[in-house]
Amino acid sequence: MISKQSLIVAKWEFLRFFKWKQQLISYLLMVLVMAAVVAWSFFVDESRHQYRIAVPAHFTLENTEQFQFQRPTITLEEQLAQLKSTETWHAVVSEEAEAIVVHTLSGKKWQQTLDSELQKYFRQVYGQSQGLSAAQLATLEEPVTLEMRYLDDNYKGSDRPEKMIAIGLLFLLLIGLSTAFGQLLMSITGEKQQRVTEQLFAIVTPQQWIDGKVLGHSLSAMKAMFTTSLVIVLSTVITLLFIADKPVDFTWLNWAVIAWLVPFALAGLLLCACFMAAIAASIDDPNTSGKGVVMMVTWLPLLFTYLVIDSPTGFGMTLLSWLPLTSFAAMPVRLAMVELAWWQPLLSLLLLLGTLYWLRRLAGRIFLRGMQMYGKEPSWGDIMRWALSNKTE
Amino acid sequence: MRIAVSAIEKAYATVQAVRGVSFTIEPGEIFALLGPNGAGKSSIIRMLVGMTLPDTGTIQVEYQQQRYNHIPRRQLGYLPEDRGLYPDKSVEKNLLYLAQLHGLSKATAQQQMSHWLEIFELTERRHEDLKQLSKGNQQKVQLIAAVIHRPAVVILDEPFSGLDPLNQEKVVAFLKELRQQGMTVILSAHQMAMVEKLADRMLLMAKGKVVLAGTLAEIRLQAQPKQVVLIETEQTVSEDSLASVLADEHWQWQSSHSFSVTLANSTDLTHCLQRVLGSFTVRAVTMQAADLHQLYVSAMAEHQQGSAA
Repeated sequence: MISKQSLIVAKWEFLRFFKWKQQLISYLLMVLVMAAVVAWSFFVDESRHQYRIAVPAHFTLENTEQFQFQRPTITLEEQLAQLKSTETWHAVVSEEAEAIVVHTLSGKKWQQTLDSELQKYFRQVYGQSQGLSAAQLATLEEPVTLEMRYLDDNYKGSDRPEKMIAIGLLFLLLIGLSTAFGQLLMSITGEKQQRVTEQLFAIVTPQQWIDGKVLGHSLSAMKAMFTTSLVIVLSTVITLLFIADKPVDFTWLNWAVIAWLVPFALAGLLLCACFMAAIAASIDDPNTSGKGVVMMVTWLPLLFTYLVIDSPTGFGMTLLSWLPLTSFAAMPVRLAMVELAWWQPLLSLLLLLGTLYWLRRLAGRIFLRGMQMYGKEPSWGDIMRWALSNKTE
Repeated sequence: MRIAVSAIEKAYATVQAVRGVSFTIEPGEIFALLGPNGAGKSSIIRMLVGMTLPDTGTIQVEYQQQRYNHIPRRQLGYLPEDRGLYPDKSVEKNLLYLAQLHGLSKATAQQQMSHWLEIFELTERRHEDLKQLSKGNQQKVQLIAAVIHRPAVVILDEPFSGLDPLNQEKVVAFLKELRQQGMTVILSAHQMAMVEKLADRMLLMAKGKVVLAGTLAEIRLQAQPKQVVLIETEQTVSEDSLASVLADEHWQWQSSHSFSVTLANSTDLTHCLQRVLGSFTVRAVTMQAADLHQLYVSAMAEHQQGSAA
């Protein structure tokens, strides 16, 4: 299936972008950025401050942790003068014919909380004026609890952890595809520009070469997905243990889904990498070519799957999970949200592998011709003609 | 490995790059392709490597009783015109990668690499990135990459470019060593002095066509069929004396003690010398053979005149 030469190319390509030191530094920088965001949020958090609010004498508002309501005996004009000149008040509330007016020096975030407090207070006031009891008021305040009950036993529910797993899978695949996209574009067009192409052409066949490249960069993308998962898991553990002070619980994780994700993700990445490698081989100069954008077509399966994620048993998701060009994204998501017979993911995976074999040969043909072109970019017509030809050497 | 190229033609979109070129390369010889830019040398090399196929004509490669339409990859070492290695990887990593792709085990690859690095005095720089090396040293690494797997045929496109005279001599010695080891070397170059020292046979090309072909002696004969001999005498010679002694010869007075005679063939030389010795005491006789550079320039000039006409 895959030659020794392809494995050597794959190892080379994988290690070419495997730089632990740089990766650790980038993760460290990411943690520092997150720490800076948290520190800034804490620094500018207005909820920890207490605000003095002047209200009319007949307002029976109770003080909260954030707001201290006072009822001064001086006139409104005097209150407003104090608001302007001193630190006596943070806001002055007055009553006018049609509205309640809140006077402040300028807009601040804490005023939204004050707005909520005042709204709540006036709902109570109006309720009491209508003769409603405290229990009746509480009933009105409480939203109705709507519970969905599904009769299809295979459907695991849309608001359970399974949906989080499904979204997480799509996110990880996006990370993988983005990694493969960047590396393949850089590696293939770079080699063409540095004329490594001719050297390698004299040593390995184009098919061996594309096989190695596609495998190497797909494994690199898998590594990116794995390290991202690891960072997410570690961050969650640290947040739970040291910030939220809660026990770590991963019992909601569905290991069977994760076990299926690995072959689907790898086959999907290989499939997309074949397509991306073929397109990249036809690019002469990445700075001026418009073909690089076409490589992003490989992100469409993720987008299509996301759009039907709330209907995992619907026609759209079922179709996507069987189509070989989209199943790598849709089938793991469907597996996460719907109970499926074992043969369904297996058959879908086999279809995907069959398509991968076909696309690999097709990409090899485009790769062969694309690599031979210097200083001139082939047209889409040329690419189609190469794809449909039988020439692989 | 024997290579027979027969009447190959190759056209690109608007250019006829190769026009009916034929030649053979025997095992263990150094064969040079010469010609100005756009002569079609690189197109021929790409066809020999198998990157492109001829539009018409054939390339037949015989190796170990098998026939191929290009040089088999495992038996080929190639130095492209536009150098192709990874500049941000070390010398060692570049060489080991290519050697392993050629099918060498890691141990053999390391052994071969050490051997060639020693020869090219690059051992101490093996861990440096390629981009840190001078152009000449990068060229040496590229040469090592082409021969590290000891192929039957080595194709070197402009192997002397970027090298100083001292290193050019080293490359000449290196290529002679390859020939001694039985490798067939095909090279294209502009440095005629180097090619003259090295090549067993050569092909001079212009605008996709063969202008001259053969060994250096054969090319001389084709380009300069008449030989010129310079004769120096003890006594003074005048134009009048020459006119009487060499009445039916093409002679030219050079100085009071020397003159040249243009001969149609080698038998004329004996005849001419007999007549000269009858009248003068000869101090020295020198055959005035044009070097490859002169032959190349005159052949190209003739070709251009012919094309213009």
